[in-house]
Amino acid sequence: MEEAEVLFSIGGLEVTGHVTTMWAIMVVLVLIFFLATRKMEKVPGRFQCAAEYTVEGLLNYFSGIMGREQARRYFILLCTLFLFILFSNWSGILPLAGQFEGFKAPTSTLSVPVALALIAFFSTQYAGIREHGVVRYLKKFCSPIILMLPLNIIEELVRPLSLSLRLFGNIFGEEMVVVVLFSLVPYFVPSLMQMLGLLFGFIQAVVFTTLTAIYISSATAEAH
Amino acid sequence: MDMTSAIIALAVALVMGIGTIGPALGQGNASAKALEGMARQPEVAGEIRTTLIIALAFMEALTIYALLIAFMLLMRM
Repeated sequence: MEEAEVLFSIGGLEVTGHVTTMWAIMVVLVLIFFLATRKMEKVPGRFQCAAEYTVEGLLNYFSGIMGREQARRYFILLCTLFLFILFSNWSGILPLAGQFEGFKAPTSTLSVPVALALIAFFSTQYAGIREHGVVRYLKKFCSPIILMLPLNIIEELVRPLSLSLRLFGNIFGEEMVVVVLFSLVPYFVPSLMQMLGLLFGFIQAVVFTTLTAIYISSATAEAH
Repeated sequence: MDMTSAIIALAVALVMGIGTIGPALGQGNASAKALEGMARQPEVAGEIRTTLIIALAFMEALTIYALLIAFMLLMRM
Protein backbone atom coordinates (compact mmCIF):
# COMPACT_ATOMS: atom_id res chain seq x y z
CA MET A 1 0.00 0.00 0.00
CA GLU A 2 1.09 3.62 -0.37
CA GLU A 3 3.40 5.14 2.21
CA ALA A 4 1.76 7.38 4.78
CA GLU A 5 3.16 10.88 5.10
CA VAL A 6 5.40 11.39 8.12
CA LEU A 7 4.34 14.39 10.19
CA PHE A 8 7.26 14.52 12.63
CA SER A 9 9.51 12.09 14.42
CA ILE A 10 10.26 11.49 18.09
CA GLY A 11 13.67 9.97 18.73
CA GLY A 12 13.79 8.23 15.34
CA LEU A 13 10.19 6.97 15.50
CA GLU A 14 8.16 8.40 12.65
CA VAL A 15 4.74 9.74 13.62
CA THR A 16 2.08 9.63 10.90
CA GLY A 17 -1.48 10.90 10.77
CA HIS A 18 -2.74 7.50 11.88
CA VAL A 19 -0.72 7.72 15.08
CA THR A 20 -1.98 11.18 16.01
CA THR A 21 -5.55 10.00 15.46
CA MET A 22 -4.83 7.02 17.71
CA TRP A 23 -3.65 9.42 20.42
CA ALA A 24 -6.85 11.44 20.02
CA ILE A 25 -8.96 8.27 20.32
CA MET A 26 -7.07 7.25 23.46
CA VAL A 27 -7.66 10.67 25.02
CA VAL A 28 -11.37 10.56 24.12
CA LEU A 29 -11.83 7.04 25.55
CA VAL A 30 -9.99 7.87 28.76
CA LEU A 31 -11.92 11.13 29.15
CA ILE A 32 -15.32 9.47 28.56
CA PHE A 33 -14.76 6.74 31.10
CA PHE A 34 -13.02 9.04 33.59
CA LEU A 35 -15.92 11.49 33.53
CA ALA A 36 -18.49 8.69 33.64
CA THR A 37 -17.00 7.08 36.74
CA ARG A 38 -15.75 10.19 38.57
CA LYS A 39 -18.74 10.50 40.89
CA MET A 40 -20.10 6.98 41.20
CA GLU A 41 -23.57 6.83 42.70
CA LYS A 42 -25.94 4.09 43.78
CA VAL A 43 -28.58 5.44 41.44
CA PRO A 44 -26.58 6.18 38.26
CA GLY A 45 -27.05 9.32 36.24
CA ARG A 46 -27.34 9.22 32.45
CA PHE A 47 -23.62 9.26 31.75
CA GLN A 48 -22.70 6.64 34.32
CA CYS A 49 -25.64 4.53 33.17
CA ALA A 50 -24.36 4.52 29.57
CA ALA A 51 -20.87 3.47 30.67
CA GLU A 52 -22.23 0.76 32.96
CA TYR A 53 -24.51 -0.50 30.19
CA THR A 54 -21.55 -0.77 27.78
CA VAL A 55 -19.33 -2.65 30.23
CA GLU A 56 -22.17 -4.88 31.47
CA GLY A 57 -23.27 -5.76 27.94
CA LEU A 58 -19.74 -6.60 26.83
CA LEU A 59 -19.13 -8.74 29.93
CA ASN A 60 -22.34 -10.69 29.31
CA TYR A 61 -21.42 -11.17 25.66
CA PHE A 62 -17.95 -12.53 26.46
CA SER A 63 -19.39 -14.70 29.25
CA GLY A 64 -21.54 -16.40 26.64
CA ILE A 65 -18.40 -17.30 24.67
CA MET A 66 -15.82 -18.27 27.28
CA GLY A 67 -17.66 -18.59 30.59
CA ARG A 68 -18.08 -16.04 33.37
CA GLU A 69 -14.79 -16.66 35.18
CA GLN A 70 -12.59 -16.55 32.06
CA ALA A 71 -14.49 -13.55 30.73
CA ARG A 72 -13.83 -11.62 33.94
CA ARG A 73 -10.14 -12.56 33.89
CA TYR A 74 -9.48 -11.38 30.32
CA PHE A 75 -12.16 -8.67 30.28
CA ILE A 76 -9.71 -5.76 30.45
CA LEU A 77 -7.92 -6.88 27.27
CA LEU A 78 -11.07 -7.76 25.32
CA CYS A 79 -13.03 -4.66 26.33
CA THR A 80 -10.13 -2.35 25.49
CA LEU A 81 -9.61 -4.03 22.11
CA PHE A 82 -13.31 -3.73 21.28
CA LEU A 83 -13.70 -0.08 22.26
CA PHE A 84 -10.46 0.96 20.59
CA ILE A 85 -11.24 -0.82 17.31
CA LEU A 86 -14.81 0.50 17.32
CA PHE A 87 -13.69 4.11 17.81
CA SER A 88 -10.90 3.69 15.24
CA ASN A 89 -13.29 2.34 12.62
CA TRP A 90 -15.85 5.05 13.23
CA SER A 91 -13.27 7.85 13.26
CA GLY A 92 -12.99 7.40 9.49
CA ILE A 93 -16.65 8.39 9.09
CA LEU A 94 -16.25 11.76 10.85
CA PRO A 95 -16.27 14.78 8.56
CA LEU A 96 -12.80 15.92 7.39
CA ALA A 97 -11.26 12.50 8.16
CA GLY A 98 -8.49 11.89 5.65
CA GLN A 99 -8.86 15.45 4.35
CA PHE A 100 -5.84 16.81 6.17
CA GLU A 101 -2.67 15.32 7.62
CA GLY A 102 -2.94 14.11 11.17
CA PHE A 103 -6.51 12.83 11.01
CA LYS A 104 -6.92 9.40 9.44
CA ALA A 105 -8.75 6.28 10.61
CA PRO A 106 -5.99 4.22 12.29
CA THR A 107 -7.39 0.87 11.14
CA SER A 108 -7.21 1.90 7.47
CA THR A 109 -3.44 1.40 7.47
CA LEU A 110 -2.03 -2.12 7.70
CA SER A 111 0.33 -1.56 10.62
CA VAL A 112 -2.34 -0.80 13.24
CA PRO A 113 -4.42 -3.98 12.68
CA VAL A 114 -1.16 -5.98 12.59
CA ALA A 115 -0.14 -4.53 15.96
CA LEU A 116 -3.58 -5.29 17.43
CA ALA A 117 -3.48 -8.84 16.05
CA LEU A 118 0.00 -9.36 17.54
CA ILE A 119 -1.31 -8.23 20.93
CA ALA A 120 -4.14 -10.77 20.59
CA PHE A 121 -1.66 -13.48 19.49
CA PHE A 122 0.77 -13.01 22.39
CA SER A 123 -2.07 -12.70 24.92
CA THR A 124 -3.38 -16.05 23.68
CA GLN A 125 0.03 -17.70 24.18
CA TYR A 126 0.36 -16.06 27.59
CA ALA A 127 -3.11 -17.23 28.64
CA GLY A 128 -2.37 -20.79 27.51
CA ILE A 129 1.00 -20.94 29.30
CA ARG A 130 -0.42 -19.41 32.46
CA GLU A 131 -3.23 -21.95 32.53
CA HIS A 132 -1.25 -25.09 31.68
CA GLY A 133 2.43 -24.32 32.26
CA VAL A 134 4.98 -24.33 29.42
CA VAL A 135 5.41 -28.08 28.94
CA ARG A 136 1.73 -28.98 28.99
CA TYR A 137 0.89 -26.06 26.72
CA LEU A 138 3.50 -27.13 24.16
CA LYS A 139 2.24 -30.71 24.42
CA LYS A 140 -1.15 -29.50 23.20
CA PHE A 141 0.42 -28.77 19.84
CA CYS A 142 1.37 -32.45 19.49
CA SER A 143 -2.18 -33.65 20.11
CA PRO A 144 -3.73 -35.94 19.01
CA ILE A 145 -0.56 -37.31 17.34
CA ILE A 146 2.91 -35.84 16.81
CA LEU A 147 2.33 -35.68 13.04
CA MET A 148 -0.13 -32.83 13.60
CA LEU A 149 2.60 -30.55 15.00
CA PRO A 150 3.36 -28.59 11.78
CA LEU A 151 -0.34 -28.18 11.02
CA ASN A 152 -1.07 -26.92 14.54
CA ILE A 153 1.80 -24.43 14.37
CA ILE A 154 0.67 -23.14 10.98
CA GLU A 155 -2.88 -22.80 12.29
CA GLU A 156 -1.60 -20.79 15.24
CA LEU A 157 0.51 -18.48 13.04
CA VAL A 158 -2.18 -17.89 10.42
CA ARG A 159 -4.58 -16.50 13.04
CA PRO A 160 -2.96 -13.06 13.52
CA LEU A 161 -2.50 -12.78 9.74
CA SER A 162 -6.18 -13.36 8.99
CA LEU A 163 -7.27 -11.20 11.94
CA SER A 164 -5.25 -8.21 10.78
CA LEU A 165 -6.01 -8.59 7.06
CA ARG A 166 -9.75 -8.92 7.71
CA LEU A 167 -9.91 -5.75 9.79
CA PHE A 168 -7.65 -3.74 7.47
CA GLY A 169 -9.31 -4.99 4.28
CA ASN A 170 -12.81 -4.17 5.46
CA ILE A 171 -12.08 -0.65 6.62
CA PHE A 172 -9.71 0.22 3.77
CA GLY A 173 -12.02 -1.35 1.18
CA GLU A 174 -15.03 0.50 2.52
CA GLU A 175 -13.14 3.81 2.36
CA MET A 176 -11.97 3.16 -1.20
CA VAL A 177 -15.52 2.27 -2.29
CA VAL A 178 -16.74 5.57 -0.81
CA VAL A 179 -14.00 7.43 -2.73
CA VAL A 180 -14.93 5.73 -6.02
CA LEU A 181 -18.66 6.35 -5.46
CA PHE A 182 -17.89 9.99 -4.61
CA SER A 183 -16.12 10.46 -7.95
CA LEU A 184 -19.09 8.90 -9.78
CA VAL A 185 -22.04 10.50 -7.89
CA PRO A 186 -21.02 13.34 -5.55
CA TYR A 187 -24.38 13.59 -3.74
CA PHE A 188 -26.31 11.26 -1.40
CA VAL A 189 -25.02 7.93 -2.74
CA PRO A 190 -21.67 7.95 -0.86
CA SER A 191 -23.47 8.72 2.41
CA LEU A 192 -25.54 5.55 2.01
CA MET A 193 -22.31 3.60 1.70
CA GLN A 194 -20.98 5.41 4.78
CA MET A 195 -24.05 4.34 6.75
CA LEU A 196 -23.23 0.78 5.74
CA GLY A 197 -19.69 1.57 6.85
CA LEU A 198 -20.97 2.31 10.37
CA LEU A 199 -22.45 -1.17 10.47
CA PHE A 200 -19.28 -2.74 9.02
CA GLY A 201 -17.10 -0.95 11.55
CA PHE A 202 -19.20 -2.26 14.43
CA ILE A 203 -19.31 -5.81 13.05
CA GLN A 204 -15.56 -5.88 12.45
CA ALA A 205 -14.90 -4.74 16.03
CA VAL A 206 -17.25 -7.47 17.29
CA VAL A 207 -15.65 -10.11 15.06
CA PHE A 208 -12.09 -9.19 16.06
CA THR A 209 -12.80 -9.37 19.80
CA THR A 210 -15.01 -12.46 19.48
CA LEU A 211 -12.25 -14.32 17.67
CA THR A 212 -9.69 -13.22 20.26
CA ALA A 213 -12.01 -14.51 22.99
CA ILE A 214 -12.47 -17.82 21.16
CA TYR A 215 -8.71 -18.21 20.66
CA ILE A 216 -8.02 -17.49 24.34
CA SER A 217 -10.69 -19.91 25.53
CA SER A 218 -9.39 -22.63 23.19
CA ALA A 219 -5.81 -22.07 24.39
CA THR A 220 -6.87 -22.36 28.03
CA ALA A 221 -9.23 -25.32 27.46
CA GLU A 222 -8.28 -28.75 28.75
CA ALA A 223 -6.55 -30.99 26.21
CA HIS A 224 -8.82 -33.74 24.97
CA MET B 1 -2.83 2.25 -23.04
CA ASP B 2 0.04 -0.14 -23.34
CA MET B 3 -0.11 -3.91 -23.12
CA THR B 4 0.87 -4.21 -19.42
CA SER B 5 -1.88 -1.86 -18.22
CA ALA B 6 -4.40 -3.69 -20.36
CA ILE B 7 -3.42 -7.04 -18.84
CA ILE B 8 -3.53 -5.60 -15.30
CA ALA B 9 -6.98 -4.10 -15.93
CA LEU B 10 -8.20 -7.48 -17.14
CA ALA B 11 -6.64 -9.19 -14.12
CA VAL B 12 -8.35 -6.78 -11.72
CA ALA B 13 -11.72 -7.39 -13.33
CA LEU B 14 -11.18 -11.15 -13.18
CA VAL B 15 -10.00 -11.07 -9.56
CA MET B 16 -13.12 -9.25 -8.39
CA GLY B 17 -15.47 -11.18 -10.64
CA ILE B 18 -14.27 -14.66 -9.79
CA GLY B 19 -13.34 -13.79 -6.21
CA THR B 20 -16.91 -12.85 -5.30
CA ILE B 21 -18.58 -16.00 -6.66
CA GLY B 22 -17.57 -18.37 -3.86
CA PRO B 23 -18.27 -16.09 -0.87
CA ALA B 24 -21.58 -15.00 -2.42
CA LEU B 25 -22.75 -18.60 -2.73
CA GLY B 26 -21.57 -19.37 0.79
CA GLN B 27 -23.22 -16.30 2.30
CA GLY B 28 -26.48 -17.01 0.48
CA ASN B 29 -26.45 -20.58 1.73
CA ALA B 30 -25.70 -19.57 5.31
CA SER B 31 -28.37 -16.83 5.37
CA ALA B 32 -30.99 -19.14 3.88
CA LYS B 33 -30.33 -21.81 6.50
CA ALA B 34 -30.30 -19.22 9.29
CA LEU B 35 -33.66 -17.81 8.14
CA GLU B 36 -35.10 -21.31 8.06
CA GLY B 37 -33.88 -21.89 11.59
CA MET B 38 -35.31 -18.56 12.77
CA ALA B 39 -38.69 -19.30 11.20
CA ARG B 40 -38.80 -22.71 12.82
CA GLN B 41 -37.65 -21.54 16.25
CA PRO B 42 -38.25 -17.79 16.69
CA GLU B 43 -37.22 -17.97 20.36
CA VAL B 44 -33.53 -18.49 19.48
CA ALA B 45 -33.57 -15.89 16.67
CA GLY B 46 -31.20 -13.57 18.53
CA GLU B 47 -28.58 -16.23 19.06
CA ILE B 48 -28.79 -17.39 15.44
CA ARG B 49 -28.40 -13.80 14.26
CA THR B 50 -25.18 -13.27 16.24
CA THR B 51 -23.65 -16.50 14.98
CA LEU B 52 -24.79 -15.73 11.45
CA ILE B 53 -23.14 -12.31 11.45
CA ILE B 54 -19.83 -13.79 12.64
CA ALA B 55 -20.03 -16.52 9.99
CA LEU B 56 -20.84 -13.94 7.32
CA ALA B 57 -17.84 -11.85 8.41
CA PHE B 58 -15.61 -14.90 7.90
CA MET B 59 -16.89 -15.37 4.35
CA GLU B 60 -16.74 -11.63 3.72
CA ALA B 61 -13.03 -11.78 4.52
CA LEU B 62 -12.41 -13.94 1.44
CA THR B 63 -13.92 -11.29 -0.82
CA ILE B 64 -11.91 -8.67 1.02
CA TYR B 65 -8.69 -10.55 0.24
CA ALA B 66 -9.66 -10.42 -3.45
CA LEU B 67 -10.42 -6.70 -3.09
CA LEU B 68 -6.99 -6.08 -1.52
CA ILE B 69 -5.25 -7.91 -4.37
CA ALA B 70 -7.31 -5.89 -6.84
CA PHE B 71 -6.21 -2.61 -5.21
CA MET B 72 -2.59 -3.74 -5.16
CA LEU B 73 -2.78 -4.56 -8.86
CA LEU B 74 -4.48 -1.23 -9.63
CA MET B 75 -1.65 0.65 -7.93
CA ARG B 76 0.88 -1.04 -10.24
CA MET B 77 -1.02 0.11 -13.32
